[in-house]
Amino acid sequence: MIWLTWRQFRAQAITAAAALAVFAIVLAATASNVSGRYDSSGLLTCHGDACSGLASTFLSNLASGGGSFLVPGSPYAILYFASVLLILIAPAVTGVFWGAPLIARELEAGTFRLTWNQSVTRTRWLTVKLALTGAAAMAVTEAFSLLQAWWAAPIGQAVGLGGSSSIFSEGRFGWFVFPTHGITPLGYAAFGFALGVTVGLVSRRLIPAMAITLAIFALVQFVTPLWIRPHLFPTSRTVTTFAAAGANVRLQSNPKLAITVSAVPGQPGAWIMSSDGINAAGQRVSAIPAACELAVSQSMGSHRGTASGPGSAAVNNCVASHGIRVAESYQPASHYWPLQWSETGMFLALALALAGYCYWRVNRRS
Amino acid sequence: MSAVIETEGLGKRYRTRWALAGCTLSIPAGHVVGLVGPNGAGKTTLIDLATGMLKPSAGTIEVLGGRPAVGPAQLARVGYLAQDAPVYAGLPVADHLRLGAHLNPGWDADLARRRVARLGLDPKQKAGTLSGGQRAQLALSLAVAKRPELLILDEPVASLDPLARREFLQDLMESVAEQQVSVVLSSHLISDLERACDYVIVLVDSRVRLAGPTDELLATHHLLSGPRRDPASLPDGLQVIAASHTDVQTTLLVRTSRPVLDPAWTVSAVGLEDLVLAYMRQAGPAPAAPRDGHRHLEVRK
Repeated sequence: MIWLTWRQFRAQAITAAAALAVFAIVLAATASNVSGRYDSSGLLTCHGDACSGLASTFLSNLASGGGSFLVPGSPYAILYFASVLLILIAPAVTGVFWGAPLIARELEAGTFRLTWNQSVTRTRWLTVKLALTGAAAMAVTEAFSLLQAWWAAPIGQAVGLGGSSSIFSEGRFGWFVFPTHGITPLGYAAFGFALGVTVGLVSRRLIPAMAITLAIFALVQFVTPLWIRPHLFPTSRTVTTFAAAGANVRLQSNPKLAITVSAVPGQPGAWIMSSDGINAAGQRVSAIPAACELAVSQSMGSHRGTASGPGSAAVNNCVASHGIRVAESYQPASHYWPLQWSETGMFLALALALAGYCYWRVNRRS
Repeated sequence: MSAVIETEGLGKRYRTRWALAGCTLSIPAGHVVGLVGPNGAGKTTLIDLATGMLKPSAGTIEVLGGRPAVGPAQLARVGYLAQDAPVYAGLPVADHLRLGAHLNPGWDADLARRRVARLGLDPKQKAGTLSGGQRAQLALSLAVAKRPELLILDEPVASLDPLARREFLQDLMESVAEQQVSVVLSSHLISDLERACDYVIVLVDSRVRLAGPTDELLATHHLLSGPRRDPASLPDGLQVIAASHTDVQTTLLVRTSRPVLDPAWTVSAVGLEDLVLAYMRQAGPAPAAPRDGHRHLEVRK
C-alpha cells in the first residue's frame, strides 16, 4: 500500500520538492543582505527609545531601496510578501491538488473497484494514503514557513523593537504573520488536506471538489482571524489615558466616538482587539461630546479625510478633558504561543474529524 | 466443497427502488456461472454485493463461507474484474503488476509475467493507451494472479469487439482450467457466455428467474409443437415457459422432469440461448416454486 501511495503521489512530491528548493535558493541568496543591513543599522547596540527610530529607518530602507527596471520597488518587500503569501496559500494548494484528487480521482475513474478488491481493506488503504500524503502536505507547508521565518527574522525583530514603515508594520499577531509562522501552518495544512479529501469523497467529481475545497478554505482563512482567533484565549482589558494608549479620535466617524490606539501601556507587542472611550463611571461613551464640536469642525476643515494629524490633537485633548479614557481589550504578547497551540489544535482536531468521516463513508458501502 | 455464493432473501434497495429482491441462491463450487439478464436487471448489484462493494438492505450473502470483503483474507480469496475493466491510465503495465504484487500476499508473479508476455503487452506502455481488449486482459491478469478461489467478472466482454470477446473468453477458460477456480461472469447476452459457462442464472426485474447447471436445464426443457390447442389441457407436471400460436399450430417451451409422451406433440431440444431468452421475456413475478402447474405466457415470435 505504501508503494502504491508513493507511486501515485510521486509526481506531486517531486513538484513540491522543486518548489521548496527554488524557494530555499532565492531566500538563501538574499538572506545575508537582509541580516547585513540589520547588523549595520545600529539596532544591535541601541538602547531604549532610540531603537524604534533606528528600526523604522531600517525597515524603510529595506522597503524602498534596491528597485530596478526588472523589479519595480524593493525586492525585499516583494520577497517578503510573496513568501508570506506562499505560506498562506500552501495549505489551500495542497488541499486542492493533493487532497481533493486523493479519492475523487479513484471514484471518477472507477479505479477504486480495482484497488478495493486487492487483499487490502479500505481502512488500511485510506490510512496509508491519508497519513503519507497528509504528512507531506504538513511538512512542505511548515518547511516554507521555517525558511521564511529564518529569512525574515531581522524584519520581525525590527518590528518588535517598535519600528514601522508603510510596508513592514505587522507584528506577530498580524493577519498575515500569525497564520504563516510558528506551528499554525501545520494545522492549516492538515485541515486543508483533510478538507480536500472529504469534499472529493462526497462530491465524487474532481473539478467541483477542487473548487469547493478552495472556496471553503478561503472562507475559513478569512473567518478565523476575525471571529475565532480573538476568542480562543480570554482577552485582557485595561483602562488608560489617551496619551498612554497613543490614541486618536477617528474624525471620519464623527459624531460617533471611535478611537484608534497604537499601544497598550506596559504590554509591548500586545494584539489589540478593540478600544472604546469610557467615562469616569466606566460606561461606554458612544458620541463625541458636543463641547468638542468646534475642535472637530476646525480639524475636519484643515485635514479633510485624515484620521489623525496635528489638527486632531485638539480633538483628542478636548475629548480627554471631558474625562473620557480609553478602554482597551487585548491579547498580551505572552498569549502568542497559547494562541498558536489553540489555533493549531483546533485545525488538527477538525482535520481528524474530517478523516473520521472519510473512514465511515468509505466503509459504508451503500 | 460447499457453495461459492450462498444468498438467502438477499435484497438491495436504493431509496424506494429495489435493485435486487428476494434473491435466494446457492452456487456450487467448480462451475463457470453465467449471470444473464437484461440491462438494469440487477446483475451488477448482485456482483457488488458478492464483492462487498455494497452492503445488503435485506437478507444475507456468504461468499466462500465468509462475509464479503470482511478482511484481507476474505479479499484475497475473491478476484474481481469490474465493468469496463478500470485500470490506472497513468501507470504503465509493469506498475500494475507491481501493484498486484504489493497488495496481495498470494501474488503469483510468475503467472502474471507469463500472461502479460503471452498477451503481447508492452510492460512500459501506459495502461491508458491500451485498447479495450488489452485493458480487459490486463485487469483479468491482475484478478487471476492474486490466485483467488472465486473469480467474479462483471460484463467483461460488453465493450469488446467480437474478436476480442472470443480471445478474452478463450484466455479466461484456459486460466480456469489451469487454476481450478470457480467463476461467475455476467452479461446481458447469453450468446457471449454460451460456450464458456456450465451453470446459468437468469436475472430479470431484480429477481432470479432461473438458476441451474446448463446440462440439467437443457435436459428438462423441451420445445413442443403440434396442432393448435389450449395449453390448459396439458397434463400436470408440465410447466409452460412460453407459448406461441398460429391459426393451426401451437409451439410451447415447457419445463418437465418427465418425458413428454403425448403423440400429438413433436418434441425437440431447445438451445440455451432460446431457453434463456424465453425466461427473460417472461413478465410478472417469478414463479414461487419451479413446477407450480400451468403458467401460460404469450410469446410473439
